[in-house]
Amino acid sequence: MRIHEFANIFKDCEIVGEKIIIKSNLAKTINFIKNDYGFNMLKDITAVDNQENGIELIYRMYSTENEEEVVISITVNGETESISKIFDSAMADEKEIYDLFGINFIGNDELERLYMPESWEGNPLRKDYEEKDERLNWNE
Amino acid sequence: MNEASLLKLNLGPQHPSTHGVLRLILELDGEKILSCKPDVGYLHRGMEKMAEKLSYIQYLPLVDRIDYLAGFFYSELLCRTVENALEIELSERVKIIRTIMLELNRIASHLLWIGAFLMDLGAVSPFFYTFREREIILKYFEKITGQRMMNNYFVFGGVRRDLFDTKDIEEFLSILPSKIKDYEKIIDRNPIFIQRTKNKGILDPETAINGGITGVNLRASGINFDLRKTDYLYKDYDFTPIVLDGKDAYSRYRARVLELSESSKIIKQALEKLKQNTELRQAPVKPIGFKLPEGEYYSQIEAPRGLASCYIKSTREEKPYRLKWRTGSYYSVNLLRKILKGTYLNDAIAIAGSLDIILPEVDK
Repeated sequence: MRIHEFANIFKDCEIVGEKIIIKSNLAKTINFIKNDYGFNMLKDITAVDNQENGIELIYRMYSTENEEEVVISITVNGETESISKIFDSAMADEKEIYDLFGINFIGNDELERLYMPESWEGNPLRKDYEEKDERLNWNE
Repeated sequence: MNEASLLKLNLGPQHPSTHGVLRLILELDGEKILSCKPDVGYLHRGMEKMAEKLSYIQYLPLVDRIDYLAGFFYSELLCRTVENALEIELSERVKIIRTIMLELNRIASHLLWIGAFLMDLGAVSPFFYTFREREIILKYFEKITGQRMMNNYFVFGGVRRDLFDTKDIEEFLSILPSKIKDYEKIIDRNPIFIQRTKNKGILDPETAINGGITGVNLRASGINFDLRKTDYLYKDYDFTPIVLDGKDAYSRYRARVLELSESSKIIKQALEKLKQNTELRQAPVKPIGFKLPEGEYYSQIEAPRGLASCYIKSTREEKPYRLKWRTGSYYSVNLLRKILKGTYLNDAIAIAGSLDIILPEVDK
């Protein structure tokens, strides 16, 4: 497993289970793992709202040649670097996370409302999201 | 290039060839596509938001609706993730039943795609032929699960009812090869079909992998990436993933046709195992009041439209703290921006159709 190899290279990281938790240099790290280690597929980006601990982004990368997976995690607050120039598929995930979590990916210029209408307020998957639709109170 | 000669064309969301509600905003110069922007979200139901408000057992019937043509796969994913978390070992019989149902579902899904794809290209009759065969599978699903689609058959730790009758399926498997031969006779060497699909929508392996394309579409570009090879449900079965290197719409069609016989091979082996298996059906997890241990759980499966995965973060409550779906079609739609650039408008439908996009899966 490569995971400990990575731990030696990225000084500023922590390994929890199968996850490599980094603190900064997201695009640089992803680019390095992709080009130098052949992790050529980004399976998906998962966002988790940990409330006061910020929003965690989990990048699941896969190598079709070696059939290995590596999981990178970073906790962000409102904005982070975009990796849509490195992976085409990241464009899809970043758009979704922008819409549902309100995270601004710097360098991605196609961010806009995806699932929710243009006029929608708030980001539905955030834990502090309030449902304002009065139709939800139909039984009161 | 004269700015004034450019045309912005809105394709969909009500276009019959977009298989639902896909909207593409195309910029055209004559008939050449200069840029394509997919607009999705017309079918958004908030699948991930609903998960956070419902207990696992309440959420289970909803997940079939993520992809109504391959509902079993999403049920299996949710069940699998929860079973991993609760460390439930499935009985051999349950595993066999699940494999049979999943592969039948894959055949049904591919059959529908073949019909609908040919319909997109203007050939009406193959649609009826493939639907005729698909009907047998749906009838069988109805007999076993009570529903034709969105079956809600898998439950945590087992299946809802035992698989009591397999005669219909044996019959179906015995006629399938001759039906596949029929499809090949009408479709494969049809000059119009060949002209419209050969060398159209070329997806070279690097672009495909970079764009997150998985499943049959990736295998038709020459990459051997089939999760079934490492899946615990399939580990005792003998089959070979279909890998073609045509990279175009035609080989994506061929790959799906070949996968029909590969899936039926798996079902045949599974039926053989089922006959020898005399276990009783495993009792599922008690439906009320179970909580997942704290932690993060992830599982994946080879769905008909590519890699599908489910991520659950649990904080030891009855409801998931966060549940995320990864679906194959969403990445295909995203990559349309790249593939359609530089092609012609009359190929756009053929190319988009060949990727097997289904919109409820995209919009979640």
